[in-house]
Amino acid sequence: MKKYIFSRLIQLVPILIGITFLTFGMMQFAADDAVDILYEQSGSVAEEIKAAKRAELGLDQPFLIQYGNWLKGVVTGDMGKSFISGKLVFETFAEKLPATFELMLVSILLTIFIATPLGILAAVNQNKFVDYLIRTFSFIGNSLPNFFVGLLLIYVLALKLNLLPIMGRPNDFSSVIMPALTLTIAMGAKYTRQIRAVVLEELAKPYVVGAKSRGVGEWTILTKSVLRSTLIMIITLLALSMGSLLGGTAIVETIFMWDGVGKMAVDAILTRDYPLIQAYVVWMAIIYVMMNLAADLLYHWLDPRVRYSEGGA
Amino acid sequence: MKKKFLAAILSAGLLLSGCGGNQTSNTDDKNTFVYGTMAYGVAMENVGTNPHESYSGWSTLRYGIGETLFKFNEHMQLESWIAESFEQVDEFTIKIKIKDNVVFSNGKKVDGMAVKKCLDDLIANHDRAPRDLKISSIEADGQFVTIKSTEKMPALINYLSDPYSCIVDVEAGVHDGIAIGTGPYKAVKVTDTQVDLVKNENYWGAVKPKMEKVIVKSITDGDTLTMAMQNGELDAVQGLPYSSLQLFQNNKYKISQVETSRVYQAAFNFKTPELQDINVRKAISMAIDKDNFTKVLLNGNGAPAVGPFPANLTFGGNKVNAVPYDLEGAKNLLEQAGWKDTDGDGYVDKDGKNLELRYLTYTSRQELPLLAESAQANLKKIGVKLEVNATDNYKTFLKAGEYDIFSKAIVTAPTGDPEYYFTSHIVDGAVDNAGFYDSAEISKLEDELHNTFDVNKRAELAIKMSQQILDDCALFYASHLKMSFVMKPNVEGFTAHPSDYYEIRPELEKK
Repeated sequence: MKKYIFSRLIQLVPILIGITFLTFGMMQFAADDAVDILYEQSGSVAEEIKAAKRAELGLDQPFLIQYGNWLKGVVTGDMGKSFISGKLVFETFAEKLPATFELMLVSILLTIFIATPLGILAAVNQNKFVDYLIRTFSFIGNSLPNFFVGLLLIYVLALKLNLLPIMGRPNDFSSVIMPALTLTIAMGAKYTRQIRAVVLEELAKPYVVGAKSRGVGEWTILTKSVLRSTLIMIITLLALSMGSLLGGTAIVETIFMWDGVGKMAVDAILTRDYPLIQAYVVWMAIIYVMMNLAADLLYHWLDPRVRYSEGGA
Repeated sequence: MKKKFLAAILSAGLLLSGCGGNQTSNTDDKNTFVYGTMAYGVAMENVGTNPHESYSGWSTLRYGIGETLFKFNEHMQLESWIAESFEQVDEFTIKIKIKDNVVFSNGKKVDGMAVKKCLDDLIANHDRAPRDLKISSIEADGQFVTIKSTEKMPALINYLSDPYSCIVDVEAGVHDGIAIGTGPYKAVKVTDTQVDLVKNENYWGAVKPKMEKVIVKSITDGDTLTMAMQNGELDAVQGLPYSSLQLFQNNKYKISQVETSRVYQAAFNFKTPELQDINVRKAISMAIDKDNFTKVLLNGNGAPAVGPFPANLTFGGNKVNAVPYDLEGAKNLLEQAGWKDTDGDGYVDKDGKNLELRYLTYTSRQELPLLAESAQANLKKIGVKLEVNATDNYKTFLKAGEYDIFSKAIVTAPTGDPEYYFTSHIVDGAVDNAGFYDSAEISKLEDELHNTFDVNKRAELAIKMSQQILDDCALFYASHLKMSFVMKPNVEGFTAHPSDYYEIRPELEKK
């Protein structure tokens, strides 16, 4: 297993170099440069002043040298400073991550607790009223964009019922519920349909039919056998969802003023804060690789028939 | 199983209901003021309260943490603040007397040396201040500070009232984004999205701060800002979308509105052959319906502009005259210039070519695309075809010269003085003279302005220069932005200021 983990981590190196190089290149081709944007609010700024700033930030260097300098810094543990705030990139990231983790965790838990029972309920009541009802709601949940769900929840839960606060508040759990619910509605809808499909497939398998004929109770079959079989699929989905949630959900974070990495990334892109954008890209690559690796290891733990291989599980 | 499922649903319900009740506890507290604003955040480059960094001085000044030597009144005229008075020793030297009773929030007295150290630090660290202030030396003696500049600086006192000139205790340093100022409140926590303030118990001013705590929240989504105000989570807001403002025009809320020097203007490109004819520029200016633009498209959040400066400045508003909105007059002028619709296609033409112009603008200011659409519709009525290019990539088109008219939003008198606008946008060779306007009369007047120290005389010259621009139809000015604060009816002492500098003041209270 150690060899397997090591080989997967080694794969991370070319991935990181590839995507950071691409991102760096794309930023170079973007129309406005960081300095133009930096001085946008300064009114009229002479070109000489902008040129001096470009030199100070190293933006007057050829693309490959800029990229090389950045890569050298990263390898030596220096991700640079934000062009805008002047703060260390690592420090900025560290400040935003707890909020993103909190939102991710609550959203994932809510999704599992809502989607799993609903998916199973729909499957065991296949083509009955409950099934149609759950499928209709999951269809709607899947179709609604996050920003619309967020605003709708604010209107109902905050404005009309005054149940929850709109804006994120430090150390106040109630303020995480609405942004988490917003994310949960879309994720939960997707999960519900997929769990329903997997449970239906499992329920039709001979071991379930056999168990039923031996008089094993439906609840026992569902919890002891079927649910365990659906876990592999749930873990795959979770790995993908956690990857995207850890990257922040810019729209939800902006609507609910949730101070996480998603909002930070959007601000960084708007202000062409290259060091922060690059750090975000590195972060995204690492979490996707790590989440997939964790999922592969969990597959094996849940189902020892799944073997490790160089290309994955 | 169904029972367990039902139990899970009920638990979720209980969790939600447990969060129920009053979600506006902060705003119910009469000693805490919660303020939501669109104007604070990373993208605005004003996070933190160190005035010597980027635009953070705006936060220092706006939220009552810091104060400047001089301040602007509601007519944008200078008044003393930390300074008691000043004396123009000669054209390069100014001597400022600091009030004797001013102290920083840490209790330390503000004297000439503290001001000198602050200004030295400003010049050493800020990116814009050195070129604005042009200071060659600062000397301190007791409560006096003597500043020498490298060139004649008639507007030095104005620049010393810019937010970056907030006087802070540089010896105390800046920790976690918190600077020590002299204002009625002091910051206790600063993040990218929030500034927490508490009353400055050592405040030196005659009016003492009335709130125990002020929370400034950055809200960058207009709908969230609107609903948080409706929900009662906020006591006051700034920066509501125009479409939302009408929701608060009732007796449940109060609105404070003021005309600012942010103007929506359009410059004619003098390199475009068709626009070198003054009759064409005049005709286009006459076809701009400013009243309709401000009343209908801006929902009353603007005031029709005559020249570059608003009416609340001594050199603005109706002190100058612009061509009136007159479509028939505009058509006649085009005809005089040889432009007629000879082929009946609805557009005037000359030598077989329609009068088609490229109108460049950007979208980051929501008003600009609206102005572009309004201009396009009105110009069609006089037979001029406008091709609108509203893009945030506008600098590429500017650099390539691919435009005939360039429209932008600009704060024309950020420090209450008119010279900045002329030197940056109007004189020949100015960095932002997008129309390549070159007037000998303007150059002459600018030379005079640059050497004039008397405020009244400077205002007279500014009026003459503005009138010259309008007479030459070098640009047209559509509207001045009105800034609005919406607040709960129990909020007092929270008023919009034309400078956009002062928000949280000692007079602020909740009744």
